[in-house]
Order: sequence, then C-alpha cells, then structure tokens
Amino acid sequence: MLQPYLPLVFMFLLAGAFALFSVTAAPYIGPRRYNRAKLDAYECGIEPSPAPIVGGGRMPVAYYLTAMLFILFDIEMVFLYPFAVSADKLGLFGLVEIALFVATVGFAYAYVWRRGGLDWN
Amino acid sequence: MTTAELLADDPIWLILIKVVGIFAFLVVMTLFMINWERKVVARMQQRPGPNRVGPNGWLQSLADGLKLAFKEDIRPVLADKWVFFLAPVISCIPAFVAFSVIPIGGEVSIFGERTALQLVDLPVGVLVVLACSSVGVYGIVLSGWASGSPYPLLGALRSAAQVISYEIAMGLSIVGVVMFSHSMSTSDIVKAQGNLWFVVLLFPSFAIYVISMVGETNRAPFDLPEAESELVGGFHTEYSSLKFALFFLAEYVNMVTVSALASTLFLGGYQTPFGLGSLWSGFDNGWFGLVWFVAKTLFFLFVFIWLRGTLPRMRYDQFMRLGWKVLVPISLVWIVAVALVRALNNSGEFSQQQFLIILGVVLGVLVLLSLLLPDRKVEEDPNAVPITGGGFPVPPLDLEVPKAPTRRTPVVANLPKEPVAVTASKEASDGDV
Amino acid sequence: MGLEEKLPNGILLTSVEKLVNWTRKSSLWPATFGLACCAIEMMTTGGPRYDLARFGMEVFRASPRQADLMIVAGRVTNKMAPVLRQIYDQMPEPRWVLAMGVCASTGGMFNNYAVVQGVDHVVPVDMYLPGCPPRPEMLIDAILKIHAKIMDEPLGAARAAALLESGASTDLMPSSERFAKKK
Repeated sequence: MLQPYLPLVFMFLLAGAFALFSVTAAPYIGPRRYNRAKLDAYECGIEPSPAPIVGGGRMPVAYYLTAMLFILFDIEMVFLYPFAVSADKLGLFGLVEIALFVATVGFAYAYVWRRGGLDWN
Repeated sequence: MTTAELLADDPIWLILIKVVGIFAFLVVMTLFMINWERKVVARMQQRPGPNRVGPNGWLQSLADGLKLAFKEDIRPVLADKWVFFLAPVISCIPAFVAFSVIPIGGEVSIFGERTALQLVDLPVGVLVVLACSSVGVYGIVLSGWASGSPYPLLGALRSAAQVISYEIAMGLSIVGVVMFSHSMSTSDIVKAQGNLWFVVLLFPSFAIYVISMVGETNRAPFDLPEAESELVGGFHTEYSSLKFALFFLAEYVNMVTVSALASTLFLGGYQTPFGLGSLWSGFDNGWFGLVWFVAKTLFFLFVFIWLRGTLPRMRYDQFMRLGWKVLVPISLVWIVAVALVRALNNSGEFSQQQFLIILGVVLGVLVLLSLLLPDRKVEEDPNAVPITGGGFPVPPLDLEVPKAPTRRTPVVANLPKEPVAVTASKEASDGDV
Repeated sequence: MGLEEKLPNGILLTSVEKLVNWTRKSSLWPATFGLACCAIEMMTTGGPRYDLARFGMEVFRASPRQADLMIVAGRVTNKMAPVLRQIYDQMPEPRWVLAMGVCASTGGMFNNYAVVQGVDHVVPVDMYLPGCPPRPEMLIDAILKIHAKIMDEPLGAARAAALLESGASTDLMPSSERFAKKK
C-alpha cells in the first residue's frame, strides 16, 4: 500500500543525513576561539538589551491573524482539488456546487476585507 | 502503461541510483545557480562578475561553500540549543523531498530496466510539493525563534507570513491545471499537455503561479525577510558556518523546485517544445526529455535572476496587499470561470464557434463595464499635519522662511555707503535663517 | 579545537592547508563597515569600473556572523569604537581587518580628542592602506595583498614553525597582470 512512497523515504533519509552531518561536523571542522561578545546577540554592534526578544517575547497580533486566515483559505483550497480532479465527470451539478462553495468563501472573504483583516500597517 | 506502474517495479538499486542522482543534480544546480546569478547580475550592471576563482570564475560558489565549512560555528548564549541546531536541517530536508515527484524525463531504460526518469509518481504529486514548501517554513520560523535575538525573530515572522500568504495563491493557481489534466499526478499533468501547453490555455493561472513562486521563495522583489536595510540578514542573521550554508542551499533548492514545477505544470515538462519532435524523432527520446526539462527550468531560474537585477524591493504592506487582495480574488474568479467554460464546453449544447462568440461578447461587456468604474479618490484629510510622523518634533515643512530679526546697523562711517549696507543685510539673513 | 590543531604534520597537512587557504582567499566576504568618505571609494570599488566581484567579494554581508574581512573605511570616533569592537568580536574565526585610509590607520588629519588615533588601538589590523581617501585601485591592491597573506597562513603551531624556518612566502601579484591582454 505505502510501497510507492518508499523512494520519498530514501530521499528524506539522504537529505536528512547530509544536513545532520553538516550541522554536526561544523563545530569540529572550523576553528574556535572564545570571547564573551561573540556569543551575544547581534544588535548592530550595540550591547544587546538585557530583556530578551522584541516586546518582551510577544509578537504583533497581525501575524496571528494572517496565520488564521491562511488556515481557513488553505482548507478551502484543499477542498477545491478533489473537485478539480473530477470536474468533468460531475458536469453541471459540480459546477453549481463549486460556484456556491466559492460564493460562500467569497462572502467570508469580503467580510474579512471590509473589517480590515487584510490591511497591514 | 502509466508512469506509476512503470515506477512500481523499480528494483531497490535503481531507486537508490535515482535518489543519489537527484540529490547530486540539486546540489550541482545550486552551485551553478549561485555562480550564474552573480555573473548575470554583474552583466546586467555592466561588470565582469566573478572571474578569478577556477576556470572563468565558475568555481566561485564551490569556494564559498568550502570556506563556510572552515569557518567558526557560533551558537549565541541566548539561543535555544537544539532548535537552533535543528532548524537548518528542517528547512533543508523538505527542499530536497519536494523535488522527488517532479518528472525530469521520459521513459528510458537504465541497465536494461524500463523505467521513467522520475523518482516517484504519486496520485497526489502536486500536493507533495505544496506540503513540503509549507513544512520548510518551520525551519525558517524556528531558526528565527531559536536565535534569541530581535532581528532574526522579526525576519522569521515576516518570512512565515509571506510564504503562507503566497501559498494560497499558488495552490489556487494549480487548481486550474488539475481541472484540465483530471489528475494531481505530475506525470499525468505533463502527458495532458501533449497537444497544447497549459501556459496558453491557462495564462492567468500561469501568471499567478509565477508571481507567487517568487513570493514563496523569498526572492527579490519580495525578499523582505532578508532586507539588509531593515533586518540585517533576516532569519539567518545569527547563523554562521555550515548552518548558514544549509539555509543558502535550501533557498536555492527551493528555487529549482518551484521552477521545475512551473515547467511541469505550464510548459509541458520534459516534452519537446515547438513541435521539434516532428523534425527528428530522436528528440522525443526519454533522455532528450531531460535536456528539455533542464532548459525550461533554467528559463524560470533566469527569470528569478532577471527580476533580481531589475526590480527594487517592495514595501511589506504593498506586498501583503498584492497577495491577499489581488492574487487570491483573481484566482478564485478564474477557477469558477474555468469550471464554467469547461462545463459548457462538455455539455455539447454549443458548437466551438458559438462558444467563442459568446465568450467574446462576455469579455467585451466586461471591458465596457470596467470603463464605468470610477477613478479611485485620493482621500485628503484637511487636518493632516504635513509629514511629521509619529509625534516627533519636526519643524514645519511649509518652506516659509521666517523673517530675520532686525539688527543694529553696524557703525561704519569711513567706508562708502552702498556696498556695506548690502553685506550687512546679507549677513543678518545668513546668520538667522 | 577544530581541524587546525588536530591534523598530524606531513604532506597531507600541507595540502589541506593549501586547500583551506585557497578557499578562504577565494571567498573573502567583507562586512559592511563604511564610516566616512573612504566608504564612498569602497562602494566605487564594488561598482562596474573596478568591480570587486571579480574576486568573489561583492557579497557584502550585513551580519558579521557571515563575514571574513572587515574593511574599516574612514575615521573611527571614540563613540564608534565600542561598536567596532563588538562587531569585530562577533565575527567568526578566521577574520581579517583592513584599515582603509590614513584616518583608520593613524587618525590622519583628525588629530583631536574625538577620533581614535588608528583603529589598531581597538582591533588587530592585518593591512594598513594609506591615502586620503585611497583610490579604488589602491584598495584592490591592498585586498590582493591580504589574499597573498592568507595563502601564507599556517595551520597550527607546527606548520607555523616550519613556515618560519623555510621563509617561503607567496608572491604578491598586481591585480591585472595575469588577466591583462597579452602583447
């Protein structure tokens, strides 16, 4: 059953082995000389601020919104694929169905647009 | 015999040969691409470009890679040890795996074994590429998060938001192709383009795919996560040595993969272009397919370089607006339009000619309607403060030169009257304006 | 730690040393550190007429983590000195510093309380380049001399002693000699 996926596993293993070998070997091949500043965060040459990460570890909420919208639209996109594969077999019925589906999604999309969910400041 | 059946009885040794071959192909393409990019961009800027290292400079990228291996490997104290270590691996693996489903050539025989020049042909082939590019984002996000430093974090967030925004447009543009090929398997898609490439049939899909593939790989003009002027190096600011090299490798392999997918989906993959097959039947040989495939992929890679040499970087809000407010609605409408046209075409109620006439009328009406759209109004706020920004004390920019305060005229009795008065008033205005 | 101290002495080490030094010299990525007027000349050096890209050096890295060579282009004020030092410290080994122009080398005409009198008070310098500001040809010449210097860099203490004893050194090469049109 899963036999066709076997080459993918081989590719995964080869790429993984190569990448893991590289990251593991890196500290052993190169030279190393310790100094304190080298291990500090790079902040354009200024002494790094003691509080870690931007805004106390929080990030702008707009990114969260984008991620949620992505999930919604991605699921919608995934629903379109099975339809697309058998679009011709479904004929007019499929066409009406997909038009309704896209209209529903378009309604939500228009709502998000109106509420400013797609604006970026 | 379908490609999937052809590949199903591949012995293990053949699979291993193909895996190693594709891996080597991708690494060599990366090395070549870095060099090619530097040379082509140099040519566009009327410079010679790298020409000292190796024959005519073609070993430049190899020297870069080796040098990175001999550099010190730094892990900042604030970095999360394991995540910082694994992030390059996570971004590297999917880049390679995504390429496995691409058909790089036709049917050939290797050591007496009939097979196709493709590692694996899955019924969900296209989805594998999309899934891999999504997983690759994890590498970027985790590297930024694990660095424990502000620039990488911001760069990683930007990069993630960018990739997922353009992933939607990319996925939607592929739906049209799947509708025509009745299959998500990449080899079936190539075979469905025997008569006519999808770039002709589905040009809007092609345009959306090409735009979103540039956004997806974080390349110029959409290279905002690596905007030096804002974010230093973006998510890989804290990475040095081979770990940085792996990020570089992953980025270029991703470029090769999306270019290969573009030629598979829209330019007929390994098929002979421009009817050359009728000139000499040898052109349709499976191994020759490899040549066509590489040529088409190189064309897209050249477009990447060309864009980089030509366009300035976009602003982030413009970029997100393009993705969400332009590409997504256009592709949604386009999908419905394609579905409609196909359904009507298949129903057989209209002849080809009637169909085209109807299409032309509809298009004409749409164009006429678009002329009725009002021009965009430029909103002017009467109370707006002229360019002063967020509360910083900035002098008024209305260019009104304030009057010079009056000054006592210097006592000059011995000198002639006229020139002195001129210099005195000039001095007064020079000093105080 | 690292390859440099681990390898046994012998022919293998000599070849590895040659390879390592060749890669380091062939891909010397500069860190952006333009401070004053010399930076304009540095940018010109990257431009079409002089083209640093010929040596694979157009890759000016924004992050010091990926840079090899710091071109201190211009005078360093006392206020900038800690920043310069921090960025130098954050560059990974091996790293080189080029003091470009008299101001970076000695303080030059800025003989006052605000300017560091030579960047070697702050970081170790590998190459001093005089000129106010030096022309792009001079910068390329200095960079080629750094290349020659890198080729002579020993791997580990044993090789350093051997090199010192033999007194061998790489010949300096004018930038256009090998690639000039043959008469």
